[in-house]
Order: sequence, then C-alpha cells, then structure tokens
Amino acid sequence: MTGMKTFLMPDRRRFLKTAGAAVTASLAAPYLVRAQEKVLYVNTWGGPWEAAAKTHLIDPFTAETGIQVKTVSPVSFAKLAQQVKTGTYEFDVTTLGGGELVRANQAGIIEKLTEPYKGGLFENGVASHAFATVMAWRKDKYKDTPKTWADFWNVEKFPGGRSLQRYASRVIPIALLADGVAVKDLYPLDVDRAFKSLDKIKPHIRVWWTAGAQSTQILRDGEIDMIGIWHGRYFEAEKAGAPVAMTWNQGEIERAYWVVAKKSPNLENAKKFVEFATSAKPLAGFSKAADYGALNPASNQFVDAADAKRMPTSPDNYKLTFEQDMSNFGIDPAELAERFEEWVAS
Amino acid sequence: MGISLSKLTEKTNIWPWLLLAPLGIYMLIFFVVPLAEVAIMSFTEPKVSLANYQKVLTGALYQRVFLNTFVTAAFVTLCCLLVGYPLAYLMAHSKPRTAMLILLLVTMSFWTSFLVRTYSWMVLLGNNGPLIALLQMIGVDKPPQLLFTRFSSTLAMVHILAPYMIMNIYSVMKKIDPALIRSAESLGAKGWSLFRHVYLPLTAPGIANGSVLVFVICLGFYVTPVLLGSPREQMVAGLIGHQIEEFLAFGLGSAMAMILLVVTLIILTIYHRRFGLDKLWG
Repeated sequence: MTGMKTFLMPDRRRFLKTAGAAVTASLAAPYLVRAQEKVLYVNTWGGPWEAAAKTHLIDPFTAETGIQVKTVSPVSFAKLAQQVKTGTYEFDVTTLGGGELVRANQAGIIEKLTEPYKGGLFENGVASHAFATVMAWRKDKYKDTPKTWADFWNVEKFPGGRSLQRYASRVIPIALLADGVAVKDLYPLDVDRAFKSLDKIKPHIRVWWTAGAQSTQILRDGEIDMIGIWHGRYFEAEKAGAPVAMTWNQGEIERAYWVVAKKSPNLENAKKFVEFATSAKPLAGFSKAADYGALNPASNQFVDAADAKRMPTSPDNYKLTFEQDMSNFGIDPAELAERFEEWVAS
Repeated sequence: MGISLSKLTEKTNIWPWLLLAPLGIYMLIFFVVPLAEVAIMSFTEPKVSLANYQKVLTGALYQRVFLNTFVTAAFVTLCCLLVGYPLAYLMAHSKPRTAMLILLLVTMSFWTSFLVRTYSWMVLLGNNGPLIALLQMIGVDKPPQLLFTRFSSTLAMVHILAPYMIMNIYSVMKKIDPALIRSAESLGAKGWSLFRHVYLPLTAPGIANGSVLVFVICLGFYVTPVLLGSPREQMVAGLIGHQIEEFLAFGLGSAMAMILLVVTLIILTIYHRRFGLDKLWG
C-alpha cells in the first residue's frame, strides 16, 4: 500500500471502521479529552502520505513556531462532521476533496479562513495539492498510442479489458469527453448523455476499482489493458517495472484543500498550520514526496524539471489537463452516485 | 434428595447473573447504546421523518443490493456446508495425528488476515496466475476468465468463512457417543439410512450453529466481493459505508443498517421457531 492517496477513496473497510468510531466516539467523549490543549492534531492518510507530511510540513512547522503537532489517521470526512456535532475533537485540521469541501462548508462544519495566497481559497478550504485521474495502458498490448478518452472507449482499435474507478463524479466527466464533448462545454454535466456513453464501455469494464492499491495492482499484473488511474498510483506501477505508459492529455485534475474543524479548541494554531502547509517551500517538498502537484504557484520555483514532469500542475502538463468544477457540477454528487451505483449493478 | 438439590440451585440463582454483569454492562454501553443511537439517527437525520426508510425500501438500487447481499450470504453458507461437513467428518473420524494436521491447516488459514487471503486469490486466479497457465498448458486455447467473476468472489468467501462451519460441526461430531452409532447398526441401520436417520440429526446442532454464524458474518462482507467479484456486485455494508463516509448521510446509512439488522433478526426468529436456537447453543 505504498504511495499516495487513497485520497477521496480510502478502502471500504476503513469507511465502516471510521463510521463506527464516529458513533462510539460520542459515547466515549469524556475519556477522550486531551491532556494538552497546546498540541495541534493533524488528520493524515497515514503511511507514505504521513511520512511526506511529517518531513516537509509538520517538523518544519514545529521548528519554526514551537507548536507541537500530533497526527491522527486515516482521514475521515464522517469523523470531521461527527466531531463538530459531539464537541469532541480528535483532530483540528484535515484535508478534503472539492466535492466534500462544498458539502462541508454548506453543513457548517469547517471554520472560515482567509486567503493565504492569491486564488488559494475556495469554500473556506485552502487549496494545497492536486492529483489527476489519467489514462494509462499496457505497452505490451498496444502498438499504437491511445491519446484521448475516446480511444479508451474505442474497443475496436484498442481491444482488451478496461477499468475505471467506482466513483461517479470522476467517471461522468470522462464519459462525456469520450463522447466528444469539449472540455469547455463539460460543466454543468449532461448526465443523461454521460450514461449513454457509459453504456457503450460497460461490457468491457472488467473491474470498477475502489482502492488506490488495487488500481496499481491490476495494471501492473496485466489484469486489465487500459485504466483510468490516479497519476501517483500509475507511477508506482511504472516504478515496479511493468510495461505501462500514460498520458496527461485529458487528465482530470482534482484539488485537495486544508480545512480547520469548526470550533476547534486550537483555532489559532490550526490556522497557522494551514497557512504554513500551503506556503511555497513546504508544499513543494510535500507534493514531490507524496507524488502530488502543488497548487500554490509559488511552489513551482522549488520543483526541478525532472520532478515537474511527474506533476499534473507543472505548466507543461497542466495545459493538457482539465479541472473538476465542483461549483458548476450540474447535479448533486450524492444523487449522481446513487444513479451510478444503480447503473453499475444493473 | 432431588428436591433439596433443586432448592439449592434456586438459592444460588443470583450468582450466574452477577457473573454475567460485567459482560452485560459492557454490552449495554458499547453495543446497545450505540445501536440505539443508530436507530434514532435513522429516523431523525437529516430531519424527523420516515424518508430514509422510504428511500431504502422503494429505491431500485437498495432493493437490488439487499437482495444480492442475502442471496450471496445464503449461497456462501450452503457452499461452506458442502465443503465443511465432509472435512469435519474426516477430522472427527481419522487418527489423532491426521486430525491434528487437518485442524492445523484449517486454523492456519483462519489466522491469516482475510485481506491477505483475498489478495492471494487475486494472484492465483489472475490472468498471469498459475491456474490460467495450467489451463493453457493442458491445451485450453481461450481459458475462461476466472478473476472478477461471481465464481472468484464466492470461492474466496467460502474459503474465508469455511473454518467457522468446520469447527462448529467438528466439535459436535467429536461429542457423538459411538455407542449410538453401534446400537443403530445393531438395529439394522446402515449406509445412507444410518447417516440420514442417526448421524445427520446428531450433527444438526453443529450444522445450524455453523450456518447461522457463516450467514450472519457474510451479510457484513464487502471488501472481498468488491475486490474479487464481478463489476456488478455490491453488498449492503459497502453501500452503508459509502453513504456515511462520502455523503455524510448518517440517516440513510443508519436506516440501511437497521433494515439489515431487522431482516437478519427475522430470519433468525424463523430459524429459532423451526429448530430452536436456544437448544442448539446449550
């Protein structure tokens, strides 16, 4: 389970564990009161993500400010909501994806923040790093190079098994691109058209992957021939020596935002941490180490050319990609997910 | 004598309850209270209404997933029984050394993390795995797809859950008095008839116990079917997790959990009426 992000989609087992924990947390509340209110608690994904955060964000932050930081993992959106409801805080800051951020801000479970760098604030989250869902394939299977999602859909020219993430709001824009919709006309999403497009590829989808590690594994082992995969997870398969290739073209970028839990007992320190974590140099180091793209433009000066090639946000790659537009999405993501799951199962 | 003995036991009747108290209190705080909270949430989140239940009970997705969950659990239970019964018989009726060896194999598999076992099946059944290679070696031109089918997910779930069945049946078989079998034989029963009328009824408690355990545990599965199964498979537990962690739909998730619980209890009650769970667990 190396590498980045089980980002918005940790494995399913964790879902229930955290949900269960959220329920019991309210009960055990009196016993979870922290000894030292000075300590700042940061919610992380654990593993390599946490290691990268510790080296580049947390340790330098403590060195600079003297504020002690402890980490709590894994990231749980449900726990963030439950914390505010119960008044028991296990962590003060965490990261959210765009869709979650919009929901969190609507639900009033995150603090108001100020813009730390130009264009850095969205719905009270500070944009930190980005990842892209890109198209990757087995080089040993195809002589020609697929270039677009339309090629992914073209099973005559590129026969073989396919895989996409079982995650509606990521798959729908891709299905529209494959059907010939231009990026500028993508949002708000034409959901009906997307499902018609998905109907065409459905028989060829052998796996709807759900966990990052799983996507690397099926690509590396050749269980499928073409996949929509997070770029960091792709690089893992490449590093493992598998005959694979990818393109940044039509890569689907999503942003991760730092947020502060509403009424956190460590409000000031939490805000300081968010500002520090999204400042140019720490963010550059973290993004490099965890295989993300830094969203603070000032970070680019700390990224050398070789690393920039691996980042969706470096200028050369970024112009090939498109960004998810959660503020003009066109449909409630929960409603979309329900329709998608029903479609997958039928 | 008999009367005074029963009076004695009546007097000491409070002790079992006292002994039960720590567990009872623990269960109350860490099981009943949170469960009650889930029940309340299912009616009150996001507002007080029956909307969550209406959605789950009438939505096509939810009906389909619930049905799939129960059918899968029932089928896996049946397979565990078909695999487990002969193996338990072998263990109960072979030499102690052989029995130990089988027991060791069963428990070893039982001790291995189920995620590891799930991934092992992916390796074994994969396109580049040994099974497909074997099929190609013996001349099967286009070997069937094994991984990401209902076959692979069922196989893995049976593998993961079979030890529960085997241990339950084995422990009952071990306790059967050989004299019963001998007397049945002396009365003329043999072969199928001996099994059908004597041995099978004697092992029924183990079968019932194992089946209930496997069935109930399987209802909560979702990692294995999602990782190994066909793209269409989805279990209720996965859907509940989705709703809560992704959409903060605590109410909807709770309603699904409650329905799963109630349907399970109904099945157990029917089972109890028919077979008597209390006797079996005695």
